[in-house]
Amino acid sequence: MEALLQPIINGVLLGGLYAVIALGMSIIFGIVKLVNLAHGDLMILSSYLSLVLVSWLGVSPLVSLFMIVPVMFFVGFFVQGVLLNRVLGKEMEPPLLVAFGLSVILQNILLLVFTPDARSLMSNLAVKTIPLGETLTLPVLSLVNFFGGFIVILAVYLLFRNTYLGRAIRAASDDEMSTRLMGVNTKRIYAHAMGIAMMTAAVAGVLVGMTFTFYPHTGPQFLIISFGVIIIGGLGSMKGCLAGGLILALAQTLGAHFIGTGYQLLFGYGVLLVVLGIRPQGLFGKI
Amino acid sequence: MDLKNAMLKYRWLILVLFFVALVTVPIWGPDYILLFCLFFCLYLALAQMWNLLVGFSGLLSLGQQAFIGFSGYTVAVLTDYYSVNIWISVIIGGFLSVLLALVMSLFIFRMKGIYFAIGTWIFAEMLLLWFSNWKYVKYGTGMFIKPEPPPCMTTIYYSSLIMAIGGLVLLYFILRSKIGLGLMAMRDDEEVSETIGIELFRSKLFCFLVAAFMTGLTAGVLYIFQIYIQPYRAFGIDWTIILLFIVVIGGIGTVEGPIVGAFVYVLLSQWLGEYASISLLLTGIIAITIILVAPKGIMGTIHEKTGFVILSPRRT
Amino acid sequence: MKLALEVSGLDVYYKDFHALWDVSMEVRQGEIISIIGANGAGKSTLFKTISGILVPTRGTIHLFGERIEGLPPHVTVPKGMTLVPEGRRIFPRLTVYENLIMGSYTPRSRSKREDAMGQIYNLFPILKARRNQMGNTLSGGEQQMLAIGRALMSDPKIVLCDEISLGLAPLVIKSIYRRLGQINQYGITIVLVEQDVKRSLKAASRVYVMLEGKMVLTGEPFSLSEEEIKKAYFGI
Repeated sequence: MEALLQPIINGVLLGGLYAVIALGMSIIFGIVKLVNLAHGDLMILSSYLSLVLVSWLGVSPLVSLFMIVPVMFFVGFFVQGVLLNRVLGKEMEPPLLVAFGLSVILQNILLLVFTPDARSLMSNLAVKTIPLGETLTLPVLSLVNFFGGFIVILAVYLLFRNTYLGRAIRAASDDEMSTRLMGVNTKRIYAHAMGIAMMTAAVAGVLVGMTFTFYPHTGPQFLIISFGVIIIGGLGSMKGCLAGGLILALAQTLGAHFIGTGYQLLFGYGVLLVVLGIRPQGLFGKI
Repeated sequence: MDLKNAMLKYRWLILVLFFVALVTVPIWGPDYILLFCLFFCLYLALAQMWNLLVGFSGLLSLGQQAFIGFSGYTVAVLTDYYSVNIWISVIIGGFLSVLLALVMSLFIFRMKGIYFAIGTWIFAEMLLLWFSNWKYVKYGTGMFIKPEPPPCMTTIYYSSLIMAIGGLVLLYFILRSKIGLGLMAMRDDEEVSETIGIELFRSKLFCFLVAAFMTGLTAGVLYIFQIYIQPYRAFGIDWTIILLFIVVIGGIGTVEGPIVGAFVYVLLSQWLGEYASISLLLTGIIAITIILVAPKGIMGTIHEKTGFVILSPRRT
Repeated sequence: MKLALEVSGLDVYYKDFHALWDVSMEVRQGEIISIIGANGAGKSTLFKTISGILVPTRGTIHLFGERIEGLPPHVTVPKGMTLVPEGRRIFPRLTVYENLIMGSYTPRSRSKREDAMGQIYNLFPILKARRNQMGNTLSGGEQQMLAIGRALMSDPKIVLCDEISLGLAPLVIKSIYRRLGQINQYGITIVLVEQDVKRSLKAASRVYVMLEGKMVLTGEPFSLSEEEIKKAYFGI
């Protein structure tokens, strides 16, 4: 029993990270009803941007967030406003294809600029741990990930609840035409929503960069994780994001514990497929 | 008579000329043109099947590479370990792809829209993981396809031509059949078509299986040519990117679209040769631009503006 | 004094379907106008075009003298016009309070938000009582009141009401119409689209009858005979 505690702790902490990774995608999927297939790549873009800032300015990755978060807001605003808004309509394919194309473009630009070498965001947090009792440890980085993720989710939740923009976003997701009748320019609202989503992706990207090594093609892995979180937790729900993140992360850490790390990804995908088939609306899904 | 009528009357002639040119290429064409046509035919076959799924059946598949890799490996394993005749291996590869498609459908056919798409993608990724960790197929190092005796270039070319024509013919006849009528009706009005639910489900499944078969066969021929198969390329998402490009450029939901698209793609990729990333990058940029600017693709826009159609899926 | 709303020669198409044919209409400031007609006569289409959801192929629309045809709602709402849409269409997952707040989205109305909300709570006390409840927990009548209140939050000078009596009990309708009268006394121009002919004839100072996308009759309610109205309504 004791031996299980470590994977459980790791899983819970990882869950917070997974939740914030998926948050951006959940927002867009739930609100604009659009699947951003480039979400993972945009996140990794943030990781690379942080890498650049860290090497140029010598700051820690967490500090680089101050610059990256606003930049990513504009990236999101632009992507939605200029590209995706133009293809929003009745048919499902065009936005998906544009997002897919964007994913390809991002990966290849990153490949050209940064080469296929493995990268990582170094910080002295990576090695620190807090011992718990005799056999358990709490890696400080994982704690940062968890709380970082939690704070971001809370911030977004408060934004959606208490600001005009947040309410407009929720209203537009309920009834787009009526929202327009209130004098709201819904296309701009969507752009704002994407901007917000990208800000969360920025945080996620930096945290991921500090925790794992990344390559230009790492994006899609996290896209699948985001999907897993959203599908398990349910669409359009912040609670769902947290729950989904926790469950998926626990499944992975426990899976690795019992089966072995090589197949844990496979296991994760398998679980995802099963959930997709049985209960695609997830635990707290509203859609 | 005016140009439009003239073109309509001679559209069959255009097709025939084109066909004759393709068939006789080994005779008059230099090697690099033969190579061009080979790839053109293979990509056309793959793209037509993707078109059938996405453009006509409303099944957005991001996982055709599952069949490409699966069939490719079937051919590799059969010829390498069991010395099966190369062409029989290809056919078996096709049938095994159908089996794979059946298994996939058990899971993903209840899913709609994007969930279906992601489901196909996940399956392909799972296969990638499985094959790259599997001793039987030599893990990630890949396998060689060593048929005894090795077929000559001309034979390979004609097989690819058969694939291309087969794909086109298959698409054309499915669309003109009762199944096709149902699918087109669904395309026009999803709500009404919900009332004929079961019919549509079967039609979609049928198309999915047919596409898997054809994709598998074509992949078999492809890998005979390539001689070497490796899980990351075989099961990679790059295939979907290429198919996406070809069909979108040419025109989703048109029959001639992929022909134009495949031509453009092979041209681009031969041009950009070694610069793999740039080629993909450009592919992505062009694809997005076309979706934004001319969402119906080249042939689709021509259809819309001039009504000029060579191969019409509609019965008149 | 400028006309609150002037529609001239409007032609509107839904794809290939010709929905409105050369439709013209005048609304003076402070009036209550009603547009009646059978289902499919084009009344909602007219409203959607005026509010900017649809774009006309021909014709003009003037709002207090300013041309607005083809302009989207987020431009026309700040100019003082709102629509209470057919079917209520309140935001089901927002509370009553949040629904009302959404009504005052435009900057001009945001500053007056507290006052406006106070007035609406006076007009519809039940909304105050239920202000923290989710929109989808309200009854039909309450939702209708919420929809009207929400529209009023944008500080409009003219309100278009699309079939507000649909699906409501007679007593509730009566109560809502009474409030409409009160709203009108604040100087707000009201244009009603109704299937309930009697009700709208009582409320309005002028009436328009539509049939199959065309305006076929107009006049003051007491000067039009029942025969005339029936003929125009049914197209006999």
